[in-house]
Amino acid sequence: MPAHAVYGTYSDGLSARAHPVTLVLEDSLEITGQDLRLAWTLADLAAGDTAAPLMRVGPAGRAERVEFTDEALAAALKDRCPDLYRSDPSASGGRLRLVLWSIAAGISVIGLAIYGVPAIAVRLAPVVPAAIEARLGGAVDGQIGKILGDPPVCNDAPARAVLDRLIERMTANGGLPVDPAITVRRHAIANALTLPGGRVVVLSDLIDQSRTPDEFAGVLAHEFGHVAARDPMRALLAASGSSFLLSLVLGDLTGSTILVAVGQAAISAGYSREAENAADTYSVEVMSRSGGDATALATILERIAKDDEKAEFASLLRSHPFTKERANRIRAMAGTETVGRRILDETEWATLKGICRNVPAKTAK
Amino acid sequence: MSQPPMTETRSGMDRSGAITFDRTLRGLTGVAVRGFLLSLVTFGIYRFWYVTELRRYFWNRTVVDGSPAEYSGTGKELFLGFLVAVAILIPVYVLIFVATISAPWLAAFGSLLSFLILFVLGQFAVYRGRRYRASRTLWRGIRLGQDGSAITYALMAIGWSLLTLLTLGLAFPFMRASLERYRINHTLIGSSRMESTARGRSLLLPWLAFYVVVFLPIVGALLAFLVATDFNIPDDLFVPKEGGKPGETEFNSDYDGTPIATFGALLLSTLGITFPLGLLLIPFYRARETRLFMNAASLGSVHLSSTLKARQFYWPYFVYLLSVIGFVLILGLVIGGGGLLLQTQGMESGFHWMLVLGMVFGYLGGALFFAVLYVRVITARLWAAVATTTVVENAGGLDAVLASSRRVGSGLNEGLADALDVGGALEVGF
Ligand SMILES: [Zn+2]
Repeated sequence: MPAHAVYGTYSDGLSARAHPVTLVLEDSLEITGQDLRLAWTLADLAAGDTAAPLMRVGPAGRAERVEFTDEALAAALKDRCPDLYRSDPSASGGRLRLVLWSIAAGISVIGLAIYGVPAIAVRLAPVVPAAIEARLGGAVDGQIGKILGDPPVCNDAPARAVLDRLIERMTANGGLPVDPAITVRRHAIANALTLPGGRVVVLSDLIDQSRTPDEFAGVLAHEFGHVAARDPMRALLAASGSSFLLSLVLGDLTGSTILVAVGQAAISAGYSREAENAADTYSVEVMSRSGGDATALATILERIAKDDEKAEFASLLRSHPFTKERANRIRAMAGTETVGRRILDETEWATLKGICRNVPAKTAK
Repeated sequence: MSQPPMTETRSGMDRSGAITFDRTLRGLTGVAVRGFLLSLVTFGIYRFWYVTELRRYFWNRTVVDGSPAEYSGTGKELFLGFLVAVAILIPVYVLIFVATISAPWLAAFGSLLSFLILFVLGQFAVYRGRRYRASRTLWRGIRLGQDGSAITYALMAIGWSLLTLLTLGLAFPFMRASLERYRINHTLIGSSRMESTARGRSLLLPWLAFYVVVFLPIVGALLAFLVATDFNIPDDLFVPKEGGKPGETEFNSDYDGTPIATFGALLLSTLGITFPLGLLLIPFYRARETRLFMNAASLGSVHLSSTLKARQFYWPYFVYLLSVIGFVLILGLVIGGGGLLLQTQGMESGFHWMLVLGMVFGYLGGALFFAVLYVRVITARLWAAVATTTVVENAGGLDAVLASSRRVGSGLNEGLADALDVGGALEVGF
C-alpha cells in the first residue's frame, strides 16, 4: 500500500498555535509543514483516547501533538505502533493486578477493623480518664433508653434499699475501678446491660424471671465483672474505631456501606468469649464471697436461653450465645458447697421483687 | 480520505471556535459498567481509576476549536492523594472527638465545631482538587494550571456563607460570583491567565425566583397562622397519641374546625407545595448561573459566549426521573408477584430462598443500572449541554498562548476532597 499524504495540525507544545501539516507514514511518521520537517519514531508514539475519526498522537513524554481525522492512517498507526495506547490501563494487564491488589488491601483493612482495632482498644480502654468514661456512659445510657422506648425507672424506696445493701455487700473488696451505678427499668426483656463508666441497666423482667435472689445477684455480679474489666469502654472504642476506619476507607461509591453496617453489627454484637468467661469467673468469686449460690447464674442462663429460642423478638442476651458451655464452666468453678445458699432472705427478696411498684403497670402488653 | 487544509478557516483573529462533544457516547456504558463492578469487588478502591477513566473519556471527546482536550491524571495519583488525606484526617477527627468529650462546655458546640472545621477543610479540598484537575488538563500540548491559595479560598467561602446566613440567603449569588471570580482569575492556560467579570448582581434575578416561589408563600402562610392563633400557639396543639408508641403525638381534636386548624393545614400544605417547586427551580438557577459565568470568562481578547437554555438542564433530570419511576414500578410488580407466589407456595418451600437471591441480584442490578444511567443521562448530557452551547470568540487569540514552565502540582491535591466526600467521587467537571 503506497503511503499517502494526510492533512493534519501540529502543535509544538510550546505555543497553542495549530500548524497545518501533511503526514506521511513511512518507517517513521513524517510531518511536513511550513518551515517544519519532523520524523517521529513509531515505537515512541502514544495516542489519546479521542472519539474516531479524530486522532491525536505524539511522542510519549513530550508535549508535541499532531491531530488528524484520517481513518486509514489511524488504522495503519494502530497496526504498526506497539505501544500506541500505553497510558490506557485497559490495554495492559495492569487492571487485573490492580483489582487483585485492591481486593487484598480491602480484606486487610477489614481484618484490621475486626482484629486490629479491638486489640488497640484493649490497650486504650484502661487509660481513658474516668470523667470522660462517665460522660460517655451517660451518652450511651440515653441512646439505650431511646432504643428501648424510654422505659420508666423502677425506684420503689424499700426495694431500692434492699438492692443498695445487696450491691454494697457484693462490691466490697471487689476491686472495681468505679462504684457501679445500677438503675432498674421496667421492660419486658430479661436482661442487664453494662455501659461505660460503671453504669449497669437492669431490665425489670430479669427480676421477674429470677426464681431465687441468687439468680438475679449472679447476673448482677457477672455485669460487675464487665465493669471490673472495663469491657464496655473497650467495646465502644473498638466499635467506633472500626466503623470509622471502614467508612473512611471504603468510601461511598458502591454498596460497600452495607458491608460497613454488617461489620458494625458483627463487631458490636457482644463481648468476646474470653470477656464473657472472665465475667462469669468474677461472678462465681463474688457470689461465693458474699454468701450466695454461685451456681444460680448457670441456672438462670439456661432458663432464659431456652425461653429465647421461642421468643418472638430476640433478647439482648443473644450476645451471650455459648449458654451450655458457659453453664458447665460456671458449675465446675463453683463446686457444690454454695448450692442452696440464699443471698437474701424471703422477706427481702419479696420486697426487691416489687421494685417497680412506683411505676403504674402498663394497660396492655 | 483526508480533510482539506484548514489554513483558510484558521486565519483571522476574530473568528469564533466551536466547542463540540461526541454525543454518541460510544463506549461510555462499558466504562461505567466496568467501573461500577470493579469498584464493588475492590471495596471501592477501584473508584480512583474509574474516575480517571471517566475523565479521560469526557476530556478527550470535548473538542475546543478543532482540538480535543487531554487528561493526563492517573488513578494512582488520586489513590496516593487519598491515602495522604486519610492520614491527615484521622488526627483531625480524633482531636475533635477528644476535645468534645474532655471539655464539657465544648460538648454543646461539638457538632457545630466539627461541622465548621470540616466545612473549611472541605472548601480547601475543593480548591485543591480543582488545581489537580487543571494541572492534568492539556489542550494542543499546553498544560492548564491554577494558582492562588486554597486557604484564602476556604476563608472566603466560610465568610460568604456566614454573610449568606445573616442576610437570609440574599448574599448567595454574590458569594457564588465572588468564588467564581477567584477560581477563574487564578486559572492559567499555559502562561496566560484567565479573567472573570462575573457579578452577583446579574444573578440576583434568577436567585430571587426562589424567594417568590418558596420564601414568600411560606412567610405569608406562617403570618396567617400566627394571626389566627393571636401570636400565641397553644402548647397542647399536639397531644400524645392514645395507645401509640412513646413520643408519638396526634393533633388535639379540641381544635378541630377552629381557624387554628384551618390555617395550620394551610401552612402545612404551603410547605408541601413550595418545597418541591423550589427543587424544580434548581436546574433553572444552575443553568442561568453557568451561562453567566461562561460569558464572564475571558483570556486576553479571547472570551467565551454561552447560549445555554434552562430546558437543556431540565431534560436530563426529567429523563432520569422517568427511568427511576419506571424502575420502581417494575420492581413493585416483581415484588408483588413474588409475594403472591410466596403466599400460594408457602414459606416452607425452597422458594423463598430464590426470592432472597432474586432480591440480592435485583438490588445489585438496580444499583448498576442507576450508576450507568446517571453517568449517561445526567453527567454526559449536562456536560454536553454546557460544552456545545459555548463558543470561543476571537479564537485566533488562542494561538498566542504559550506553554508555562511552572512545576506541575503533585497528585496529592485531590485526595482530601475524596476523603471528605466533597468533590464527589464521580465529579468529572471542571
Ligand atoms: Zn456478659
